[in-house]
Amino acid sequence: MSNPGFLYVIATLLPLASFLLLFAGGKRWPGRVGGLIAVGGIGGAFVCSLIGFLLFLGAMPKHGHHDDHAKGAAVQATTPAAGSGTQPTATKPAEPGKEEAAATKPAEAAHGHGHAHAHADDHDHDSFAWKGSLSWVALTGFGSDDGGLDIRLGYYIDSLGAIMFLMVTFIASLIHIFALGYMSEELQPTVEDHQAHVTRKGRFPRFFMWFSLFCFSMLNLVLADNLFQVFVSWELVGVCSFGLIGFYYERQSATNAANKAFITNRVGDAGFIIGLLILWTQCGTLTFHTTTETVTTRSGRQVEKVKQLGIFDALRAPEHDTHKDPIKEHGQFVRVRHITEDDDHLLQMNPAGDHVVIWDKATLNGHFHGPDEKGRFEAYLSDRDGGHGHGMKTMPYWMLVLAGVGIFLGCVGKSAQFPLQVWLPDAMEGPTPVSALVHSATMVAAGVYLVGRVYPLFAPEVLLTIAYVGAITAFIAATIAIVQTDIKKVLAYSTVSQLGFMMLGLGVGGWVYGLFHLLTHAFFKALLFLGSGSVIHGCHHEQEMTKMGGLHAKMRTTSLTMLVGVLAICGTPLFSGWYSKDGIIVAALSFASLNPEHMALFLLPLIGAGITAFYMFRLWFVTFTPRDEHVYEHAHESPRVMTVPLIILAVCSVVVAWGPRPWDVQGSALEHFVHHSQPESLKVDTGINLNTAVLQAEPDSARAENVIANTFARDSWLHPLTVKLGWGPHDLAGLLALVVAGLGVLLSFAVYYWRVFDPQETRERFPWAYDLFQNKWHFDALYSALLVRPTLVVGYWCKAFDQKVIDGLIHGLAHLTVLVSRFDGKVDNGLVDGLVNLTGRVVFGVGDWLKGAQTGLIRNYVLFMAVAAVGIFAVVSYVLAMAG
Amino acid sequence: MNIGLTHYLILGAVLFVTGLVCMASKRNAIGVLMGVELVLNAANINFLAFARYNQTFAIEGMVFTLFVIVMAAAEAAIALAIVLNFYNNHVSVDVDAAEELRG
Repeated sequence: MSNPGFLYVIATLLPLASFLLLFAGGKRWPGRVGGLIAVGGIGGAFVCSLIGFLLFLGAMPKHGHHDDHAKGAAVQATTPAAGSGTQPTATKPAEPGKEEAAATKPAEAAHGHGHAHAHADDHDHDSFAWKGSLSWVALTGFGSDDGGLDIRLGYYIDSLGAIMFLMVTFIASLIHIFALGYMSEELQPTVEDHQAHVTRKGRFPRFFMWFSLFCFSMLNLVLADNLFQVFVSWELVGVCSFGLIGFYYERQSATNAANKAFITNRVGDAGFIIGLLILWTQCGTLTFHTTTETVTTRSGRQVEKVKQLGIFDALRAPEHDTHKDPIKEHGQFVRVRHITEDDDHLLQMNPAGDHVVIWDKATLNGHFHGPDEKGRFEAYLSDRDGGHGHGMKTMPYWMLVLAGVGIFLGCVGKSAQFPLQVWLPDAMEGPTPVSALVHSATMVAAGVYLVGRVYPLFAPEVLLTIAYVGAITAFIAATIAIVQTDIKKVLAYSTVSQLGFMMLGLGVGGWVYGLFHLLTHAFFKALLFLGSGSVIHGCHHEQEMTKMGGLHAKMRTTSLTMLVGVLAICGTPLFSGWYSKDGIIVAALSFASLNPEHMALFLLPLIGAGITAFYMFRLWFVTFTPRDEHVYEHAHESPRVMTVPLIILAVCSVVVAWGPRPWDVQGSALEHFVHHSQPESLKVDTGINLNTAVLQAEPDSARAENVIANTFARDSWLHPLTVKLGWGPHDLAGLLALVVAGLGVLLSFAVYYWRVFDPQETRERFPWAYDLFQNKWHFDALYSALLVRPTLVVGYWCKAFDQKVIDGLIHGLAHLTVLVSRFDGKVDNGLVDGLVNLTGRVVFGVGDWLKGAQTGLIRNYVLFMAVAAVGIFAVVSYVLAMAG
Repeated sequence: MNIGLTHYLILGAVLFVTGLVCMASKRNAIGVLMGVELVLNAANINFLAFARYNQTFAIEGMVFTLFVIVMAAAEAAIALAIVLNFYNNHVSVDVDAAEELRG
């Protein structure tokens, strides 16, 4: 192994090992052994991830991106001299800086392969990662080149993967430990299920078996270096969620919820598959990142060749063409039009072109030029027709958009986004640790993570879709959460809402903030769910908040840790949610400031943030502060095994996003770490990208690429704010977010603590709103009317058709067969057997008759012989006479 | 009147029929054997007559006659042995008593 990536492979396989152990012998081991095995598996994975993370920190290149670019310029300057002698260098404008750089590297210029090394280093620094893979399914004979269609198993650990691993294993470990306490009822030989009114066996090992598989699936998803491996894990995650949501499968509601989760996810996965198929067909690869190898040509030169093409490099323009001339459009989708001129088929670059160039292996390893002054592409490919231009592969642009939307649809299903958000609240039927795991580290995180991972595949239209879906989800889910009374359902809708925030952040170009919020959210959402689990455990499986109240006195640890989680999710300064949520709101405002027609993308989440603050404090007040009626008497604090994870998570929820200066909202160390994995294309993408605005605003700043601008772009309608007040998006959005959240908290205090308003009265004053929110914006009714009931009707029709027509047909055929058989039997018995018997009888009769001739008397025999001889003689004579 | 082939053939035919009738009518096994001899000798007469009157069969006819004589001697030896055994079993040489081979 050339790098410590294998640590992550071990970390992935440990939960799988514990799953297999539990699968094989879980039922035989007494007591908590099964649970301890699972805890050991995930704990080992956490240790591996932690070691890997520390090694990664040590191995990561230290200098920033600004240095990289200076170096990149130097490298490019050496190119004309080093690359090939055939290309005239005089055609390019020589910049003074570049000349100087070229002069400082005469040794490299003299040697032909100097460039290759320099380039390799440069590339590594741009996206530092540990990679490795092995062939899994090789489809030979499909591609024109060897190994063209090859499904691989591999790992790709960049800073995003490393931090995701750390987060997932850490939170999953804590939830495992918590579950040891929470699931202790299952240790009894028989458990009485009060909801399903049945007595059943305890299922302690079974729970941890599913948990282990869940963790393995999620880790494998983060580990994967290609989309197919992601898809396999993706489906495994789906299966595990099905098994865990339906853990209490005696309850009808639990099985329904499990089915709902699974089926809703199928809708999204159909889109995912379509996206995969389009990419596989058009690009011939699903691997994320290109691997190269150095090949010595016949003339002795060492050339870097593409070994395994990555899907991003297949769609985004390369840095330079085969003559090492830089391509201006590096990192963008190159949209072209097919034109014909002088019988030559050419690709004309056009921002509204209906095709996108695919940079396949043959092109990159072959011979192609960047666009000429007219914006035309040419490629000369020996194994194609050798003509002009049409050697380069293209795919229709709508297909690229469709692939992006398809993959995003998969993420919509997994991350419970509008319009597939309906399954997540129902998934509360599972045990609370499952909800915590699903809502923080695994299932729903997978969708957001994948959007971040395949970000370079998304065309601007897709990104806009993502942003709108996120904004709508964030708002709708927040409004529904206001009226929920089930403590877990409030948290479920808050998860949906927060996931909407993440998607919005990703969609408007705040790649870092979307994923940053995913990480911080994982901590406080795990905390909140485990806290609610502790409450539910303490109240003997009571989930209705209306029946709680005043629990603060009885469950002090739970109450305080949950308060930390509530503050974090509201975006209170210095709590982890502040940094990430602020980033998302800023990104949305920056985007909206450049595109005023998309102002809703800023307003919806802003209002959503206010509502979030309101309903989260409502949850805390209703549950923990004393009330006159319905006080739960028998509540008790949970055991240490449950409160310790709560305390750890509470501490993490505060400090996890801190940087060297915690009061600087832009100074989060976690954010800067995630930033290292930011896709290259984000920096150069035109269209609706946020960072374009940033680059325009601060062309010279080293932080321009790292951090959202502190000023509004010059062509933004909010630019006067910068001119007059010196305000940037950060100031305005941060202030607005705090004000709105503060208003939400104040309102919550007013209603549920100071009792200025009576919630009952408010409800009666706005019956339409209450009705709308209580019925979840009628999504369930809509789907029931649009999809479920028609499906059932079709199902009943099919059943009737099956029973009446098909069964009738089959029964008729059966009757017919019986009739034919009966007739056939008669024929067989009468005719066939009769003939056979007749033959026998005839032969017997003849034999019996001829028996008389055999007298045993020699004299008779002699007589017979004589007569026969005479007879034969007579016949022969007659015949001969007749014959003439 | 010239003695020709026809006369020999007639003689052979008469002898043959005589032997055949003897075989068919005699109940005495010895008599049956005698009938067989007559039939064989009728054949011999035919062979010799053809050897005499047809040059093509000059040698073959005589050789066949000799074969038949030798064969008849062998046959007589075997047949007499059978008859003796038959006599030992049945105390008779009546061929009608030998009906164990009846179907």
